[in-house]
Amino acid sequence: MTGSVRMEGQKGDNPLGQQAESLAEKMQEVRGEISKAIVGQGEVVDGVLIALLAGGHVLLEGAPGLGKTMLVRTLAQAVALKYSRIQFTPDLMPADVIGTAVVQENGDGRKSLGFQPGPIFTNLLLADEINRATPKTQSALLEAMQEKQVTVAHTSHQLEEPFFVMATQNPLEMEGTYPLPEAQLDRFLFKLRVPFPGREDLHDILDRTTQGTAKVVISVVDGPQIMGMRQVVRTVPVAPHVQEYVVKLVLATHPEGRENLLANKYVRYGSSPRGAQTLILGGKVRALLDGRFNVSMEDIRALLLPALRHRIILNFEAQADGRTTDDLLDEIAGKISQD
Amino acid sequence: MSERGKIKSVAPVAVSGPALFSALRNIWNESSPWSQKQTYASRASHGPDFGNQNWPAQLQSLIAPLIATRRRILTNEFLRDWLKVWTWILAGLIVAAAFSPKLVWAIVSAGTLAVIGAIAVAILTWRARPSAYAAACRLDSAAGLHDRISTAVHMGAVENPDGMILRQRQDAVMHLAKVSPRALFPMRMPVAARRTLMLAAAVTGLFVYRIHYKPPMVALLQTTARSQLVQSILSPIAHAMEKDLQRTMALINSKPDSPDDNVRPGESTTANDLWKASDDQGNKPEDGSQDSQEANAGDQMQDQSPSAMQGGQGEAQSADSQQQENGDRQSQQSNSGDARMGGDTQQQSDSQNSENSRQSLSQSLMQALKNMMSNSPNQQGNSQANQKQPNSQGMPQSGNSRQPGSGEADKKGDSRGTSDAQQKASQNSSSGAGSQQGSKELKKDQAALPVNAVPDRVALESNGFKEQTRMRVDNGTGTARLPVRDASPQAVAVTNGAEQENIPARYRLYVQRYFDHPENGQK
Repeated sequence: MTGSVRMEGQKGDNPLGQQAESLAEKMQEVRGEISKAIVGQGEVVDGVLIALLAGGHVLLEGAPGLGKTMLVRTLAQAVALKYSRIQFTPDLMPADVIGTAVVQENGDGRKSLGFQPGPIFTNLLLADEINRATPKTQSALLEAMQEKQVTVAHTSHQLEEPFFVMATQNPLEMEGTYPLPEAQLDRFLFKLRVPFPGREDLHDILDRTTQGTAKVVISVVDGPQIMGMRQVVRTVPVAPHVQEYVVKLVLATHPEGRENLLANKYVRYGSSPRGAQTLILGGKVRALLDGRFNVSMEDIRALLLPALRHRIILNFEAQADGRTTDDLLDEIAGKISQD
Repeated sequence: MSERGKIKSVAPVAVSGPALFSALRNIWNESSPWSQKQTYASRASHGPDFGNQNWPAQLQSLIAPLIATRRRILTNEFLRDWLKVWTWILAGLIVAAAFSPKLVWAIVSAGTLAVIGAIAVAILTWRARPSAYAAACRLDSAAGLHDRISTAVHMGAVENPDGMILRQRQDAVMHLAKVSPRALFPMRMPVAARRTLMLAAAVTGLFVYRIHYKPPMVALLQTTARSQLVQSILSPIAHAMEKDLQRTMALINSKPDSPDDNVRPGESTTANDLWKASDDQGNKPEDGSQDSQEANAGDQMQDQSPSAMQGGQGEAQSADSQQQENGDRQSQQSNSGDARMGGDTQQQSDSQNSENSRQSLSQSLMQALKNMMSNSPNQQGNSQANQKQPNSQGMPQSGNSRQPGSGEADKKGDSRGTSDAQQKASQNSSSGAGSQQGSKELKKDQAALPVNAVPDRVALESNGFKEQTRMRVDNGTGTARLPVRDASPQAVAVTNGAEQENIPARYRLYVQRYFDHPENGQK
């Protein structure tokens, strides 16, 4: 995806068209604000913005010191959302995340159990090193991420929209960690890998962080605007052949298909329907950010890896052969494109 | 209920024409490879096609480029399939020109097929023509429009579009104005055009060749059939079949089985039997000389029987070669002459009476000539001496003389020239016989025994006398070593028992039986 947004053609007088065009402009401003603090990492920033507008959550995976936490904090500043951070540790309990009922004393001295919201009651939640918490604590996020609510003492509490979870995990230090279960992983819209910065980016990072003062990030959009953008995104049309392409891709990841030779050999479980939803929704956002009003095959292909790489479970043979989900998805996409 | 009853209950009573046509069309769509695949993309596309008039106003500018795109696609597909048809037609023309002597019907058939193929390809191409949506997809892919046109066409059926669809249509029209479908879909020659052109050139060259020559493959087959390799493969088979046929005919023409196998050597044997025996011996080497039979009748007779050989000598061979073998052959003829010297004309006449039904006139003449030759006293003595010498053919199976059937069969092929040669050979027999060895001892036996050539000769052979078939014989009167023409590779037949396995199988039993006879041992 390019950084520039081209909105050509006639400026229609319809509000939806104007919203679509303003969405791209706003997102371009947000990207500019984030770039004040984050050097490079263009694909990660775009993935985060797409997930934000598509209403999903993002799992960031990368080595320590690559700016994962900085990215989330900067985004929270750029979009003017409430931000909270939870450092996941093995002794973290679900109540520490979602809140708990505590004894409260009212004005007349009567005591009662009252709900004390946890840090999850925010707009932008950073779940730092989420794989260090126990599965019990990790599963506390399941309901919040899917239904945007938490249930404590038989009482459900709605989370404020937009609710956006950004979790990080370190792929290197696996000792003392609890890998996320498949159900938890499937609730993340994207799994973004944070790469090591290049030479130029590294020079830029050193210049920014070791000289002078840091630039101040200003808020460009707020929560209600983001919710409006989410509505605009869903109006983007999708051609039938593009949708067929998405279906083919998702089905090709399943080992049950007779013609899926790669999946038969290396895949234990294929992508869920959430993967197809992710591809379509992400494609729509990407089309708008690219200045188009329709989803194209290129949008789907660009989002294939972050949308499906955490939804596919490889079997032992793939691990023995050193195959990764990215390799497998690339081969599947190439094969389907040839068809 | 039976199966037929079920079918009747399921089948409608009256099948309407449109329903039947629809069913056939569905079957064709499911089974035909040319039918369009019913994918989700084609089924879910509700956009207007070219024939519809309900194109929205925003998309009117899309129709012309899409029609141009589809026309180019159809043309290229027609050319591609049309060239495939021509490729097959040209291949058929090559085959026809290579094999068929007539080219007119091939050209007419090719022209007819070309016309029919063009019509069929046109129909199939038009039937599989792309829709407006498919043409838009092709245009998007070729122009890199990121599916703008196809999405606009797909959403073209929406009557009251919202702002996003309207904005999308405007975007599609704006980007389509920047591209040229004719440049994106040029009229290009298919990839197979080069192959088709090469085939066309080959067909042209072959037809030009055929104007002056006959079909090349037919000529090649004929040349191959006449080649030495094929002849070398086929001629032994043909000869073997011919030989079998001759043997079969000989067996058919031979007289019924006689008790000759039981006749002992000491018993009287007619001169005719002896003659037949020598004929039969002469038949044995004929296997290896079949080619010479075809090439030279005289040589053929020379191999088949002594009389025939002499006849052949009289016609074809030189005088030296006659001298080389005359001595040996005179011994055989003199054997028959001795038999007749015994005055056993009655036996001869009896045997002739028994064979009258099968003997020809030439055989009768031959017998008369033999009788004439046997009247000479000197010739008689020499022939008696030579009688005890081994057969010039080196075949100790003298008992074969009791197989008159084959001898008669061979005699039937004798000609007048053969008789003349026999007469000539009998005149030369004095010189040839005089050079033979061991005549003194044999004369004693001859005096003691009645005129019976076969037992004496076999007695000599049983004492260890060895002689190789057609070995070069030095004449006493000269030193000429002349090669024997058409000398067949006779096996060394030694009768002392060690090499009896070299005797042909059909004679082996008789030889063994003969040497087991007590009289033979006394001799």
